[in-house]
Amino acid sequence: MRYFAYILALLAGAALSFEGAIYGELGKTIGQLETSFYNFFMGSIIMGLLWIFFGKGKLSHTAEAPKWSLLGGLLGVVYLTSIVISVPFVGVGITMVAVIIGQMVMSMIIEHYGWLGSKKLKINKEKIFAVISMIIALVLVN
Amino acid sequence: MGTFMILFTFLGGITLSAQSSINGTLSRKTGTIETTFLTFATGTMFLAIFILFFGQGNILALLEAPKWQLSAAFLGTLYLLLTVIAVPRIGVIATNIAGIIGQLVIGIVIDNFGWFNSLVIPLDTKRAFSLLFMIIALYFIYKGNKRSREEIPVQHR
Repeated sequence: MRYFAYILALLAGAALSFEGAIYGELGKTIGQLETSFYNFFMGSIIMGLLWIFFGKGKLSHTAEAPKWSLLGGLLGVVYLTSIVISVPFVGVGITMVAVIIGQMVMSMIIEHYGWLGSKKLKINKEKIFAVISMIIALVLVN
Repeated sequence: MGTFMILFTFLGGITLSAQSSINGTLSRKTGTIETTFLTFATGTMFLAIFILFFGQGNILALLEAPKWQLSAAFLGTLYLLLTVIAVPRIGVIATNIAGIIGQLVIGIVIDNFGWFNSLVIPLDTKRAFSLLFMIIALYFIYKGNKRSREEIPVQHR
C-alpha cells in the first residue's frame, strides 16, 4: 500500500505537468486569471459530482474543523497566481526551480516539526541527500 | 524586479507544501473527496472575487476554446485528489518530492516531443543525468522515511 501511495504522488505530478502545458495555451486565449478560475470552477463541479456519488466522509465536519484547516483553497490560488505573475518576468525555468525549492524546503520544515497537523517525521541524512539530488537534477534540466 | 519575482515564486512553493499538509490533516476527519471538493469550492470563490476586480482576459472565450484545452481541468482535479490520498500515507515531503519528479519527467517528455505547441527541447545527456538524479532522490526519500518511522515505532495508521 505504501508503494502505491508513491506511485499516486508521481502520477499527481505528471498530471500537473500536462495541465501546465495545456493551460499555457488556454491562458493565451482567455487570460491567466480566467484560466485559474476555470480550473477551480470545473474542479468544483467534478468533485461535487464525485462527492454525490462516492463521498464516504463527513462534509459537515467542515463546520467543526479548525478554521486554518480550511485554507487549502486560498493557498492553491496564491500558488497559481504567483506562477502566472512571475513567468513573464523571469521565465518558466527559473520560476519552476524557485517553486520547487520553496516546496521542498518547506515540506521538510513542516514535517520535521509536525506543523499543520502533519505527522512528525524527523529530518535525517537520507532526506538531505534527497533534496541535494533534486537540486542537482533541477540544475541539469535547465 | 527579477529577484523580487523569484522570492515571490519561492513563496508560491511554500504555500503549495502548506496546502498539501493542511489538506492531508483535514481529510483525516472530513474524507478525501470532501476535502478536495472544499479546496476547489473555496478556491473558486476567491478567484471569482479576484476576476471581478483584476480580470483582464475574456472569460466568455471559454466557450470558443478548443475542447482539448478545457480537458486540463480533469488533470488539475486528479492532481489534488491524488495528493490528498498520498499525504496521510507517506507524509508531506515524500508526496511533494515524488510529485515533483513525476512533473519533471513528464515535462522532459513534453519538451522532447514538443506536445501542446511547446518549444521542442530534445532529451540530451544533461537531461538524462538529471533523470538519474531524480531516481536517486526518490530512493533516498523512501529510505529516509523508512528510518524516521523506525525511530518512532508507535504511529497511528
